[in-house]
Amino acid sequence: MDKKQYTNFGIWGIFILLMGFVVPVFFPAYRVILVTEAIIFSLFAISYNLLLGYAGLLSFGHAMFFGTGAYVTAIALGHIEGLPILGAVFIAILATTATGFIIGSLLLRHKGSYFALLTLAFNALFYVIATKWHSITGGDDGLSVTRPDLSLGFTTLNMSDITTFYYFTLIIVGLAILFCWYFTKTAMGRTVLLIRENEERMKFLGYNTNISRLYLFTFTGALAGFAGSFYALFFQFTSITAISIDMGTAALLMAFIGGTGTFIGPILGAFVYIFLQDFLSDFTDRWPLIMGLIFILMVLYIPGGLSGLFLSIKERLSGRRAATGQTETEGQNR
Amino acid sequence: MSDIPVFFLHGLAYAGLLFLVSSGLTLVFGMMNVLNFAHAAFYMLGAYFSYTVLRITGNFWLSIIICPILLFLIGALVERFLLRRVHAFGHLHELLLTFGLAYIITESVKWIWGNYPLAVSIGGFLSGQVDLFGLTYPIYRLFILLCAVIVGLIMCFVIYKTKVGVIVRAAVNDSEMVNALGINVSSVFMNVFAAGAALSGFAGVIAGPLLTTYPNMANEILIDAFVVIVVGGFGSLGGALLASLIIGELQSFGVLLIPKLSMALIYMLMAAVLVIKPSGLFGEE
Repeated sequence: MDKKQYTNFGIWGIFILLMGFVVPVFFPAYRVILVTEAIIFSLFAISYNLLLGYAGLLSFGHAMFFGTGAYVTAIALGHIEGLPILGAVFIAILATTATGFIIGSLLLRHKGSYFALLTLAFNALFYVIATKWHSITGGDDGLSVTRPDLSLGFTTLNMSDITTFYYFTLIIVGLAILFCWYFTKTAMGRTVLLIRENEERMKFLGYNTNISRLYLFTFTGALAGFAGSFYALFFQFTSITAISIDMGTAALLMAFIGGTGTFIGPILGAFVYIFLQDFLSDFTDRWPLIMGLIFILMVLYIPGGLSGLFLSIKERLSGRRAATGQTETEGQNR
Repeated sequence: MSDIPVFFLHGLAYAGLLFLVSSGLTLVFGMMNVLNFAHAAFYMLGAYFSYTVLRITGNFWLSIIICPILLFLIGALVERFLLRRVHAFGHLHELLLTFGLAYIITESVKWIWGNYPLAVSIGGFLSGQVDLFGLTYPIYRLFILLCAVIVGLIMCFVIYKTKVGVIVRAAVNDSEMVNALGINVSSVFMNVFAAGAALSGFAGVIAGPLLTTYPNMANEILIDAFVVIVVGGFGSLGGALLASLIIGELQSFGVLLIPKLSMALIYMLMAAVLVIKPSGLFGEE
């Protein structure tokens, strides 16, 4: 990691953040709502990609953490009088961290196809619990959530206002995304990447690869819970959709469409997914079919996703290999 | 308690169905090392094709013959034109491909046949009842059981007693060597995958009249079949048989004894197996 990459990323980060801040100025409320949703799903997709792109673990059950985060937020706000909004998010993160640790220590006994299969089965278990435990989760009816106002000491922000909630999401979720990016540059983040590349060698060098993987799994679980918590606050409602396998599939589609080889890919994928869904559902009820076809075509022809595609176009145009993300993209195409 | 034998038979019938689906899944996984997420989608296609054949001809025996053949063709096409392309990219892409395929098949089914349950009714003696040691029992469930036993026996015979089975087992161990010996390994793999799809489609055809035919049936049986494979041990036919029996009975008696927890029971069993013996009952480490 050299200085130039930090500067590069910093410029991009500031640029994207500035764009984020002016969204409510230039766009109608309807678009602002969509962007809020896309930001929340960006975090979900990034947490998913830390598993798939960085650790090479294919999970079909990431919704169990997303859904747990959403349910814990709804339940905490419903049962604890006067709980501040960030308090609810914090409780959700604590709960999903614990869940991630327990589930991870069971699931990570297997790798590859077995791991993928087990995540699906465990997600089904979570789904059954959410459906059947009617007194707590509301079963098929779901739970409604009231966003508490955010008290800053000198002033109180009205969270039922769309624009205020948008800025709140942009800042808090944006910080979480920045933290994820920082994580990929830490020794721990690098370790995970290297385990994917050559586990035997990492073991030989004295790393406990199982513990590293468990830490990563727990971390991504907590992040998905974070996103799920904001999902509940955003829709002011939590239903079994949040914990269904389809929700995990959505994260997979976002990460893959955006590109699993780069950090920014899942964000791109989340925005494309949310806006494409909004656009297509105006014309046809069959948009999941179209998404599925896009996905299959990308698996067959563009395994690097959109960001991988951009990178290779950039390389071709400049006639040299781009320094950033090169190793990561190539790792994916093995 | 006259309920107990009835529920025991119900459990056996579901176990038979589960075995038909999971044995195909294990077969393909053991031989090609591909975990096929679209396997249950083939099962669902079998049920829907059968519904259409029944609507047109009204002959259940005809659909038992036609639908598996159609699924065999579909399976062969999927292997030849999709799976083989991504094989070089590694397991991750194979998984993603079959998963995407399952997604597309489910959405297409919702589009073509509608997103609601369809009732499949068969006439003739199969829809009747039979007296069995003093209790009246639907013939159809016994028929499912019989089908599962026959198919299981045929499968064991083919894999362990015929030349085709020898080639297939050898190709799993060392496909390059088998190729060098002059056997077309690609064609063997294609046929194995297609046979798995046909088996799953067959299960779908006979499941249609028992369970309702609806777009979520694939996901439900897929997860149950995965639990069977985890509990029984990956790639083991005997394990799949035993685990199917356990899970079929567990489902059936769970509904009778603790209805609220019945769905969670099999996952608890799976978690217990994972803690005690991660490789499954019959699995080899």
